[in-house]
Amino acid sequence: MTRTILKATGLRKDFVTQKPLFGAPTVVKAVNGVDLDIQAGETFAIVGESGCGKSTLARLLVRLIEPTEGEVWFNDRDIAHLPADDMRALRKDLQFIFQDPFSSLNPRMTVGALIEEPLRAHGQGDSAARQARVAELLGRVGLTPAHADRFPHEFSGGQRQRIGIARALATGPKLIIGDEPVSALDVSIQAQVVNILEDLKAEFGLTLIVIAHDLAVIRHMSDRVAVMYLGELVEVGRCEDLFSAPRHPYTEALLAAIPIASVGARKARTQLDGDLPNPISPPPGCRFHTRCPYASARCKTEHPPLRAAGPQGAGHQVACHHADDLSLQGLQDASAARSAAASARFDLYRAARGAAPGPATSETT
Amino acid sequence: MTDPVLSVTDLSIRMQGAPTDLVDGLSFDLMPGETLCVVGESGCGKSLTALALMGLLPTPPLRLTGGSARFAGRDLFAMSAPERRQIRGGDMAMIFQEPMTSLNPALRIGEQIAESVRRHSGASRDAARQRALEMLERVRIPAPHKRLDEYPHQLSGGMRQRAMIAMALANDPSVLIADEPTTALDVTIQAQILDLMRALQQQSRTALILITHDLGVVAEMADKVLVMYAGRAVEAGPAASIFRDPQHPYTIGLMSSMPSLGTRTDRLVTIPGVVPPPNALPDGCRFAARCPFADAACAAKPAFDMLGDGHGVACWHAPIEQTRSPAPAMGAIA
Repeated sequence: MTRTILKATGLRKDFVTQKPLFGAPTVVKAVNGVDLDIQAGETFAIVGESGCGKSTLARLLVRLIEPTEGEVWFNDRDIAHLPADDMRALRKDLQFIFQDPFSSLNPRMTVGALIEEPLRAHGQGDSAARQARVAELLGRVGLTPAHADRFPHEFSGGQRQRIGIARALATGPKLIIGDEPVSALDVSIQAQVVNILEDLKAEFGLTLIVIAHDLAVIRHMSDRVAVMYLGELVEVGRCEDLFSAPRHPYTEALLAAIPIASVGARKARTQLDGDLPNPISPPPGCRFHTRCPYASARCKTEHPPLRAAGPQGAGHQVACHHADDLSLQGLQDASAARSAAASARFDLYRAARGAAPGPATSETT
Repeated sequence: MTDPVLSVTDLSIRMQGAPTDLVDGLSFDLMPGETLCVVGESGCGKSLTALALMGLLPTPPLRLTGGSARFAGRDLFAMSAPERRQIRGGDMAMIFQEPMTSLNPALRIGEQIAESVRRHSGASRDAARQRALEMLERVRIPAPHKRLDEYPHQLSGGMRQRAMIAMALANDPSVLIADEPTTALDVTIQAQILDLMRALQQQSRTALILITHDLGVVAEMADKVLVMYAGRAVEAGPAASIFRDPQHPYTIGLMSSMPSLGTRTDRLVTIPGVVPPPNALPDGCRFAARCPFADAACAAKPAFDMLGDGHGVACWHAPIEQTRSPAPAMGAIA
């Protein structure tokens, strides 16, 4: 009973980097023909190296920037071509969490005013009702109502990200996009924020789109994953399918590059040489062929479209000519290498934290 | 038995006006060719330690309040400024996290590397440029002849970090300190840089102090690990031993709060709260406020106990399985 909440078709964004007096301008195709279907209630992740266009795509999906071409349908309305007034009204359903909690909060506003601002902008409630809502939201993200009178600089990075989350939640959105919401945080704080996002998602029945480059966090949080390379999707699939049996060589290389926190767990890795090619002049054919260990002559000339792969109904898609002939290596299970003594202590720690394996908070939806 | 190339004893650093030391009694030995990984959250003093060793500590507001660092038979902290300058960038070099802010944007890559070579070896302009080219080749920068005359902004993040490494290694240092060298990079580029550092280290026998918060990087690179919390060493030992037999609740908490790449769990285990601010560090165990095992005993500072095999821990309750057994030795249970 899945329902599509957000659908993008043929989405493209060109940025003009240089406009000479004469001749053609230099254009970067940051997002080049992306089709996406996001189901209501799922956590959808977009991964890729810096410069692959994942942040541009995220901004296009909620129309923080205008697409050059293509459509974005949110609940059967094409938001890419909606008049500004209607779009503003719709914003309460579509919220955004930014990467850097230090630069995305106005330093001259109190935390209370920051969280109240979206409520005021959408004309929700009177002053007293809004104050009550602010206090409630602060509690929901693990802060206290007393924090409302303080300024952002008085908080640590993790706390600021919580404020950003409370602000995004204020108007009761249906869909939240997080652009690297935890990458600026320390490991222990990162875990706290990931848990909060998951709790809130379950509690309010949110749909979550997460942009990230940390594959371990992605694997933990998401239901489906899209892998992006130079402005195009190269693989889309269910999280467990994609991590255990990747079908695109780029996905395999990304997985192989994750450092594994277990001594001696590392096997020989497929090394990806070189950097991301310049997006101003992407390679012809398959954009990945310059770094791909499996590339053939065909890959240099013919651009592979994103097509269905794997068993019917799994919804796995891949853009590779050779996806059917390659047998690629997924993520190796590193937990097997963990010693009994370490595992026993992890369990003790978990028990002492009161977070028994399994549900720790109510899973109400 | 070889002597350590760098031996730090009781290093302490204090901020102006603060009642306690920010870095408090840190000791470690670094053997030739060895990799020591220093792990901890932001604000735990790992970068301050690196800066102090390089003689780059901003004084004031910070100052050394004690300790020594013996390098090549002499105490670094007792040296004069010119002596420190001779060592810095020569026999001891450092790589920073963000290559864009630590490279001079107005100097060509080749000039920056050659400058350091000439400063330390007195080589001629031509010889230094030749050395710069050789270093760019060693760090496997494509088209090194061309890169030599390019500016930092013309290089990608990974290439810039390679250039930084080339510069740091140009004078064959015996100790290299790398402060989060791959944190700003993508995973694929990170894998390339880590491979490169390992290969170069094998050739040159340079001892490496690698500061990171990524336990995956630690597991791949470290011979020895030093876990720091709020300015103190809470656990240290051989990498294999730390991962097989983690002792300190903080180490265990860090390891379990990372999303597992093995079986997927419902929820991540967290370490509650935040690191105490530098002006309110407790006298006793500095981790006690966030520790699920803390009790009255933790109000006193735990000694750093050696467990043998070079593995040591500073915790009243290590190993934790004995603490949780029926009768805790110390009175009150929090």
